[in-house]
Amino acid sequence: MTPLLELRGLTRAYGSLTAVDHVDLAVLPGERHALIGPNGAGKSTLFATVAGTLPATGGNVVFDGHDVTALAESERARRGLLRTYQHSSLFLDCSVLDNVALAVQRVHRVAHRFDRAARRFRRTEAEACRHLESVGLAGRAGDRASALSHGERRQLEVAMVLAAQPSLVMFDEPTAGMSAAETERFAELVERLPDDLTLLIVEHDLDVVFRLADRVTVLHLGRVLATGTPQEIQADDEVRRAYLGSARAEELFTGGL
Amino acid sequence: MERAEAGATEVTRSSPRRLVLAGAVLAVLVAVPVVLGAYPVTTMTRMLAFAVLVLSVDLLTGVAGLPTLGQAAYFGAGAYTAVLVGLHLTSDAMAQVAAGLVAGLVAAAATGWVAVRARGIVFLMLTLAIGESVHQVADTWSAVGGSNGLAGMPPISLFGSPLLASGFVYWWVLAVAIAVFAGVALVVRSPYGRTLRGVRDNEARMRALGYRPALARYGVFCLAGAVAGAGGALWVAQARFVSPGDLGFEVAALALLSVVIGGAGSLWGPCLGAALVLLVRDNLSASIGGHGPLVLGLVFVAVVFLMPRGLAGAGRGKGPRRGRGKGRGKERPS
Ligand SMILES: Nc1ncnc2c1ncn2[C@@H]1O[C@H](COP(=O)(O)OP(=O)(O)OP(=O)(O)O)[C@@H](O)[C@H]1O
Ligand SMILES: [Mg+2]
Repeated sequence: MTPLLELRGLTRAYGSLTAVDHVDLAVLPGERHALIGPNGAGKSTLFATVAGTLPATGGNVVFDGHDVTALAESERARRGLLRTYQHSSLFLDCSVLDNVALAVQRVHRVAHRFDRAARRFRRTEAEACRHLESVGLAGRAGDRASALSHGERRQLEVAMVLAAQPSLVMFDEPTAGMSAAETERFAELVERLPDDLTLLIVEHDLDVVFRLADRVTVLHLGRVLATGTPQEIQADDEVRRAYLGSARAEELFTGGL
Repeated sequence: MERAEAGATEVTRSSPRRLVLAGAVLAVLVAVPVVLGAYPVTTMTRMLAFAVLVLSVDLLTGVAGLPTLGQAAYFGAGAYTAVLVGLHLTSDAMAQVAAGLVAGLVAAAATGWVAVRARGIVFLMLTLAIGESVHQVADTWSAVGGSNGLAGMPPISLFGSPLLASGFVYWWVLAVAIAVFAGVALVVRSPYGRTLRGVRDNEARMRALGYRPALARYGVFCLAGAVAGAGGALWVAQARFVSPGDLGFEVAALALLSVVIGGAGSLWGPCLGAALVLLVRDNLSASIGGHGPLVLGLVFVAVVFLMPRGLAGAGRGKGPRRGRGKGRGKERPS
């Protein structure tokens, strides 16, 4: 099977600091792939480079059979390559519904229409409401996004990215700041997502990682340390040696976050 | 619709009280020529035309988050075009407004692409430069009368009959102003209005959702140019005269001032601000010893300190205060 996303020697440097260092990675269609690693490993930088927010300093991003390294971020998003942010990035002065509807209306190709009020675009509004419901925010549709709690903002972030009809979503620590109940809702939501939706998840909660992921990649100092099934990663000596010394893997990944 | 509640469309749209209030305001506006004499009626005609210019500034500043000092240029393009049409082609009021609108649209489309790549203070300076350049052209180009401007436009006519009484001109200008107001209100509520608010709030996120923010800004820049052009045509429908002073820096600054006083993003607030600003400049200035600009300056300072959300915000009572901080795009968790 040809991978949906393939990184070939992807490199991103901030001046002399190489945050992402010749990363090779292949994510198969429909796969739930977790990316883990300690603070500063370069996970968020990798996402930003793949999404096109940051230009790569070397290597290639191949998405859906096309080299997208030179494409603008908005063009990659149009092709279905979407991501969420580690720190919520919302439209705070807009309503909760607007936040999700912005994602939907672009997909429905009505984002530049002004011949009717937005609420008259029933298909778009209904789709946006459905996505709000799926993350439990249906009751807050009319509130301003800035009125949401931190956990609710994380949920809204998830609804927004799924509403943009992605074929691959990169979640950057989606459950950071969510309550236990919200984390459970997120995990259930991910489990209910269509099988052909491909996910790449950065997550420090290893329970979530091992519950959701088919494969796990460990990143350390910008380099790929290991890739394998959750079982293989948990048992991997090199992973343990590289960071843990004798400590348990759980402490490494959760410590400091 | 106000910026303060622009997001929360569902909750606020057309409550009965608002409809009644809007109906009452409309009735009073329509009754003006019946009740008042010719001089106050011409004053109000000018206010309405200026309010249309202010709406275009508000569309950019309040809805799309782009404070501008360039709209007087498109207002002027509309005004000059309408006078030229009136002088050489037809006195038909509809044709003149249509010509003014198209002139504003074309002028904005021709000059806007550079400006919309920037935002914030750079955008403001670019629009200022556009405004000053157009003013310079009008001031020196003899084909449009140079610094003397163009005078002697015949009275406008509707369906073949000239509108000689000031009251009829007022009603015509009022009708177009209401149509423009309704049009802008529709844009604000449309999916495109939502797109503009998104670009205003968090441009980076819009890009990550697949939008091209510069394109969205270019669209609204052209729309605002058309609105300002229509305003310019309405301005000369009453004045029957246009000069470079009608598109100078002062006009642009007063339009922006009206938006700030009225409350950026609200539509009726800036219209009220427009009336207030023209009243002080044209009517009260003489009676307060020519200190109109000083009074306007003081009003501006008072509004900024006492009513940060303008007249619209004050009329709204104790609504939720909106965060006005810059760089709201990236919200950090606790
Ligand atoms: N804008 C920046 N300029 C310079 N250096 C940066 C910048 N952003 C990140 N870095 C550095 O790049 C490295 C990788 O950072 P990154 O945020 O990608 O790591 P991460 O794996 O996402 O960490 P965390 O788990 O804390 O989110 C770190 O050493 C960080 O200090
Ligand atoms: Mg990170």
